[in-house]
Amino acid sequence: MQLTKIPSTTGSLNSSINRGNTYKAIVLSLVFVVIALTLIPIFYLLMRAFQKPVAEIWALLFRPKTLEVVLTTSLLVVAVVALTALVGILIATGLHFVKLPFRATFLILLVIPLAIPSYVFTYTWIALLPSFSGFLAAVFILFLTTLPYVILASLAGLRRVDGSQIEVARSFGFNNAQIFFKVVLPQIRGHISGGVLLVGLYTMSDFGAVSLLNVDTLTVTIQNMYRASYDRNAAAVISLLLVFLSALFVITDERFKSKNLLNKTTKTTGTKVYTISSKPYQITLISVFAVNTLVAVAVPVYVLLTRFINNPVAIDWRSIATASISTVVVAFFGAVIALVLSIPVGVLLSEKPTRYSRITNRVILIGHALPGVVVGLALVAFGSKLGFIYQTTFLLAFAYALLFLAKSVASMSGSLAKVPEGAKEVAATLGMNKWAVLKNVVTPIAAPGIALGTTLVFLTAMKELPATLMLRPTGFETLATQIWSSAAISRFNEAAPYALVLLIIAAVPTFILSRPDRVDKALTTQEIRG
Amino acid sequence: MTTLEIKNLDVSFGEKKILDNLSFNLDSGQIAALLGPSGCGKTTLLRSIAGLIQPDAGTIRFGKQLVSLSSLSLPAHKRKIGYVPQEGALFPHLNIAQNIAFGIDRSAFTKEQIKQVVKEMLTLIDLVGFDKRMPNELSGGQQTRVALARALAVKPAMILLDEPFSALDAQLRAELRTDVIKLLRTQKTTAILVTHDREEALVSSDVVALMRDGKIMQQGSPEQVYSSPTSATTAMSTGDTLVLSAKRLVNGQTNYLFNPINLDANILEIGEVVIRPEEIKISKDLSSAKIIGEITKIDYYGHDAMVEIAVSNESVQVRIPGPAKYATGEKVALEHLGPIRFFANSKS
Repeated sequence: MQLTKIPSTTGSLNSSINRGNTYKAIVLSLVFVVIALTLIPIFYLLMRAFQKPVAEIWALLFRPKTLEVVLTTSLLVVAVVALTALVGILIATGLHFVKLPFRATFLILLVIPLAIPSYVFTYTWIALLPSFSGFLAAVFILFLTTLPYVILASLAGLRRVDGSQIEVARSFGFNNAQIFFKVVLPQIRGHISGGVLLVGLYTMSDFGAVSLLNVDTLTVTIQNMYRASYDRNAAAVISLLLVFLSALFVITDERFKSKNLLNKTTKTTGTKVYTISSKPYQITLISVFAVNTLVAVAVPVYVLLTRFINNPVAIDWRSIATASISTVVVAFFGAVIALVLSIPVGVLLSEKPTRYSRITNRVILIGHALPGVVVGLALVAFGSKLGFIYQTTFLLAFAYALLFLAKSVASMSGSLAKVPEGAKEVAATLGMNKWAVLKNVVTPIAAPGIALGTTLVFLTAMKELPATLMLRPTGFETLATQIWSSAAISRFNEAAPYALVLLIIAAVPTFILSRPDRVDKALTTQEIRG
Repeated sequence: MTTLEIKNLDVSFGEKKILDNLSFNLDSGQIAALLGPSGCGKTTLLRSIAGLIQPDAGTIRFGKQLVSLSSLSLPAHKRKIGYVPQEGALFPHLNIAQNIAFGIDRSAFTKEQIKQVVKEMLTLIDLVGFDKRMPNELSGGQQTRVALARALAVKPAMILLDEPFSALDAQLRAELRTDVIKLLRTQKTTAILVTHDREEALVSSDVVALMRDGKIMQQGSPEQVYSSPTSATTAMSTGDTLVLSAKRLVNGQTNYLFNPINLDANILEIGEVVIRPEEIKISKDLSSAKIIGEITKIDYYGHDAMVEIAVSNESVQVRIPGPAKYATGEKVALEHLGPIRFFANSKS
């Protein structure tokens, strides 16, 4: 039938049929722009790397030094991941099932290390024990730094385990260990794998701790090559190697993830909480919490405070204020850029899976695997081509956005996916077009989760070190760079005030994030999506 | 006046044909029930009417207005119909009053007028005083009532209900159904109710459309579809059914279990007789009985009982008013009170 044959009463039919397609086209083209931006670093690294002859690239990749560094990095990742997963899952399980006094306080004490960057952890421990150095020390520090990720992710998963299932298992005569392995663990596997992903990528991309502890990992090697600036093309080659290893880790983790967690309709309401009140469990847990609080909270805070008080040099309050403002402002803009970029991607990923959304998801995951050193290096190359943004705070904020885009996208798509399909459809039948539905239904329901995801990006960006070191404009100092420049040359007293301020500022978003229901909104969503 | 006219509608999801050349009409003010097993396409039909799905072919008209033609379709937000999905889908971030007022055009009505409509609706659904509550503080039945009020508040030309009572327990379900139907009737709203519950379809509607495999098999008043099914399958869609093999004879008589006349007369065609369980009478008096069977099972429901009786090689289900005065193993006389609904086997 021809369009022209439509009776005049269908004028409205004619004019509005293409709306749905316009919406799709707009979303897809915006997603395309975001993907192009995400791929800038990899594109520049490839360009740089292949300025070298292939034979030289080969020689560089297979020289003994490179292999040694790759081995050290891999061992470090395996050790940290294994340790955090084991301890984190046990702590989370205890916290969830065992009836405890001051449960909320314990949770905050377990999560607060998120506010402490790994390089601050390291330098406080070195200040305390001057011989603190080497591989095992790095494992210890990175374990303390990343433990909260696994605890939060596992807790989020445990909240979804229905207590009545455990009662059923108990009625079959299962003991606690059997229930844990047969009922609980299989259900939280997806969440754990999400937490483990964060831990692995963090370890692989960490620069501050390993550098202070004299452990030669890939990030340290890249940073040294860049600083020595003898051959930036070689640095690009090693960067690509690091990206490859990170991507390998992401893919392995994807495999481990159980498929059913991708189901959007997992119900979170109406689950019964099951609690055990047993003295031995309570005492064990509280002891573990006490030890963790001692080494992960008390030691750094104690060292920072004593160093701060005993500091013989007059404190430069003006410089502290400037660095604080710079830190907050740049991290804030980074988080906002990430938020804006994540909107089209989140919208696409929250809808019915298509070929496009699968490809987009992959690209965002690759972006997730880009360490700060690598993004820093790539954007230096990119920025020096485009002179007008080189050495600007905008480029630094953009680097933060690229680094933490995956976090932002995860909370965006997760929050959007939680908007009930039926509510959107009803709104449509009540006379709202797609944009009105987005404004009146989708946004208010999804906003809290998105806000928490953005808070997490903001927190992470404030602590970021390697990209900040590479991309900050000359003379521009953040708290992170100030701490680093003093701590790297063992001037711990001078670093102390900056570290204390950073800790206090970072503690605010950490507090906001340390309530389980909020964690659920900010973090789990991203565990589900990777 | 015809409010809804659907002609030759096709909807496919990928390779799978969900609606197959379906046609359906509904008059203004009528309540129709779409009855069918899950997967027969009834929700898809409802969503096509709502504009939530774009059909592949066919037309949908609301009165004179064409809203869907082949793959062109007016989007949902321009159709002015009320939609009540399964489990209500209330907006979780809005309170009850805001939910009800959600669809009302803010530019066309003053705040006072909107308040007034909300008040009327709350009275109508008997939830006065609940305006500030949040959806999660309401029971399932209350949520369904609010979902209905939200749809009615915009005075839609037609209201579509997708198994709105399916999440409720039996008693609440019956009560709420009665309330909702009464409400729709007082408002003179044209409505389509999707259900897989036979009783619900019969008791609520003016028109029952029996759906199967993406087609409407039969459409008519509840009495029509129940007592004059067009096939054994449609009979089974509306109630318990006994299907017995039968032969129609040239002399006009039908040979089947309850009429075992000799087959001297020529057989005209072979087929089935469809009987409702309440159309068979049983008695303890075996003296003048033509057909005798033995009770093998009694399912007692209180108001009535379903008795299973072995007759020759067949097992026959009979509904008798309770309390049952029979016991399993007992021999009883059976008589078919009629009518004889004969359906010939479709010949090759």
